[in-house]
Amino acid sequence: VIRAVIVDDEPHARAELESLLQEMGAFEIVGRCANAVEAVHAIRGARPDVVFLDIQMPAIDGFELLSMIDDDELPEIVFVTAHDEHALRAFEERAIDYLLKPIARERLAKTVERLQRRRGAWPAAASLPRSPIRRIPCLAGKAIKLVDLAEVELVRSSEAGVYVITARGELFTELTLRVLEERAGLLRCHKQYLVNIDQVDEIRPDDEAGATIRTRSGKEAPVSRRFLPRLRERLEI
Amino acid sequence: MKLAVQLVEALCVFVVIFYLYCRSPAFQPLRLDRPRGRVRLYLVFTGIAVLGNYLGVPVVGGQAIVNARAVGSVLAGLLGGPVLGFLVGATAGIHRVTALTGIAALAGAISTTVEGVLAGLVHFALKRRPERLMTPWVAAATTFVGEVVHMVIVLYLSGPQSGDIVRAIGPPMVVANPVGAALFMLVVLERQREQDRVAAASSARALEVAERTLRLLGRGIDQRTAGELAAIIKEKTGVAAVGVTDTEHILGWAGMGADHHLPGGAISSPYTRQSIAENAVVFADGRRQSYNCTVSPGCQLASMVIAPLQVDGAVVGTVQLFEPRHRRFLNMNKSLGEGLAALLSSQLVIARYQEQKSLLVMSELKLAQAQVNPHFLFNALNTIIAILRRDPGRARELLIHLSNFFRKNLKRASDVSTLGEELEHVRAYLEIEKARFEGRIEVRTEVDPGLLSLRMPAFTLQPLVENAFKHGFSSTLGEGHATIRAFRDGSAAVVVVEDDAGAWQEPQERAGLGMQIVDKRVKNLYGEGWGLSVECVPQELTRVTVRLPAEGAAA
Repeated sequence: VIRAVIVDDEPHARAELESLLQEMGAFEIVGRCANAVEAVHAIRGARPDVVFLDIQMPAIDGFELLSMIDDDELPEIVFVTAHDEHALRAFEERAIDYLLKPIARERLAKTVERLQRRRGAWPAAASLPRSPIRRIPCLAGKAIKLVDLAEVELVRSSEAGVYVITARGELFTELTLRVLEERAGLLRCHKQYLVNIDQVDEIRPDDEAGATIRTRSGKEAPVSRRFLPRLRERLEI
Repeated sequence: MKLAVQLVEALCVFVVIFYLYCRSPAFQPLRLDRPRGRVRLYLVFTGIAVLGNYLGVPVVGGQAIVNARAVGSVLAGLLGGPVLGFLVGATAGIHRVTALTGIAALAGAISTTVEGVLAGLVHFALKRRPERLMTPWVAAATTFVGEVVHMVIVLYLSGPQSGDIVRAIGPPMVVANPVGAALFMLVVLERQREQDRVAAASSARALEVAERTLRLLGRGIDQRTAGELAAIIKEKTGVAAVGVTDTEHILGWAGMGADHHLPGGAISSPYTRQSIAENAVVFADGRRQSYNCTVSPGCQLASMVIAPLQVDGAVVGTVQLFEPRHRRFLNMNKSLGEGLAALLSSQLVIARYQEQKSLLVMSELKLAQAQVNPHFLFNALNTIIAILRRDPGRARELLIHLSNFFRKNLKRASDVSTLGEELEHVRAYLEIEKARFEGRIEVRTEVDPGLLSLRMPAFTLQPLVENAFKHGFSSTLGEGHATIRAFRDGSAAVVVVEDDAGAWQEPQERAGLGMQIVDKRVKNLYGEGWGLSVECVPQELTRVTVRLPAEGAAA
């Protein structure tokens, strides 16, 4: 059985694809997402084998979504779109297949074949450089908020999850520290902290070999001995 | 015979005076179409006739004067018609009777008047063929006949001495005055020919400029074309400097003062502003009124003519010709400047027409594209296929909406549509979009039913609604709301499409182009005062407003 997540902002499109996949008999649907934020959550939570991903979606499109997922957690991608203007880019993003809506059963059967042939070769192919992240999708209560990178001061990870800290407060995000460090240009200062170098106000050495960062709005983060030299280098001190 | 020679001498003095007058700046073209022109003619020829009295030679003991009065009244009649001939003759005659004495005075007065009227009748007879009227021969013949009549009248009215008088004055006047009248006519003709030559020369120049600017202005007027334009006009008119402006800035400058009248600089001259504000030619001759450069105190320019460039009655800029302090501003260049501005204006109209034509072609293409917007079509079909599984009845309805939508799309882009038709088009579109996003979008329509017949270019409303979708809902993760409103605002009808996303961005994008096209098409149909405007409060709302004349709605 292939575990699949469907991402599409149109409910009927999701329903139709789900029906088709179930008719194929080879799939278990483990997630149905209407936007990129739900998709990050489902991919990280359910660890599907394949994601059927619509490209044109509100706020964060399919390509941007891919850059928000850790390479280790990235499943096979099948793009599903109404128009083929994105086909080339889709394959550059190492998609295994590219389906056009409305989807014909026969065409979907070929996708299934490809997926099954590929199963032995999993885990997925080596990572490729992705487009940088410019906005971080966060949860503010039930609402989804897209936080501009420039506003971010710190990112903190704890057992409860990853939190983006801005001058106005903390917001929960599904993105991992590693993804944010690699693709959002945030700097690691501690095992559990990233800092936005543009928001650093001062660095105060501690008794031990570490230091403490204070941001423009007065938030603090520890700097461990290990990351201090690199931080110094970036700040040119 | 001696008298005849004396009279010819007097006439020659006359012709010289008249010739000098014709050459002087005081002389204005002979214009009969305006009252002022008629008064001027009357005064000139009365002057000639009265002078004819004084330059005459008294004979028969002062009872009569061998005179050239007839020349004035005959010419007035020939040039101005019977009324003018009568008036000049009568005035000069009254002068003869009141100011000078003699038995022949009354007869002279009457006959001069008769001669004026006679010449007027000749004028009347040959009015249709000015080339035959305005000849020395006609002037001579008319005067000859007139003077013969004169003698007859003298014979009848001057009592016992009339025989002597006619013998004395008859031969010289009948011989000399026709010669004089012919000479006068020659002077007038010469003067007119010269005016024609000047006019021909300036039209030739204007045409040369036109020939060279036509291709230039095909691209409309901007800093690049304005500089070349100014240089061409300067070369062809020979004035010291030429400027071209739009309504706010100098666009191009050629000649004197180019060091400080820089393209791109703001308009500072009150004359230019006056010309733009009043849509009128402004002239400063450098004496009574002069141009004072507000940019540089060292500027030598002192006289100018500024003529507005206009497109569809609205001023879009000016053409300005300048001369420095030490040079007189030629009248010819003044009228040439005015003429050129009119000519360039019409070239701009042509340029604009061509721009609009290509714009229409572009919008046709754009709309043709929209007619097969692949995303919309395939997503719609995908949605209908999905719904078909569970609710074939609804799928059927949606297919009908889709058909309606595409049928309306087949309308030609050049067609004029009504608000009602546009709303139907939008409704078909919305039904599909609502089905696609099931519950995520809500669109309210508030339309004054009296405006349903409001006329507007086809495809005005649908692109605005589609834009609200593309930029509005596609940027939010939650629900999207939009409102379509149409209401009257005084003499205007206002159509508003508003969404609550506030994600509008300045039109580098294709959707922006779509909005521009809607705007231009409305302006094409109704004129510059109408069209589209966009307000955006980021994260809150985007409001697109179309203003149209409410007369577009049948009452």
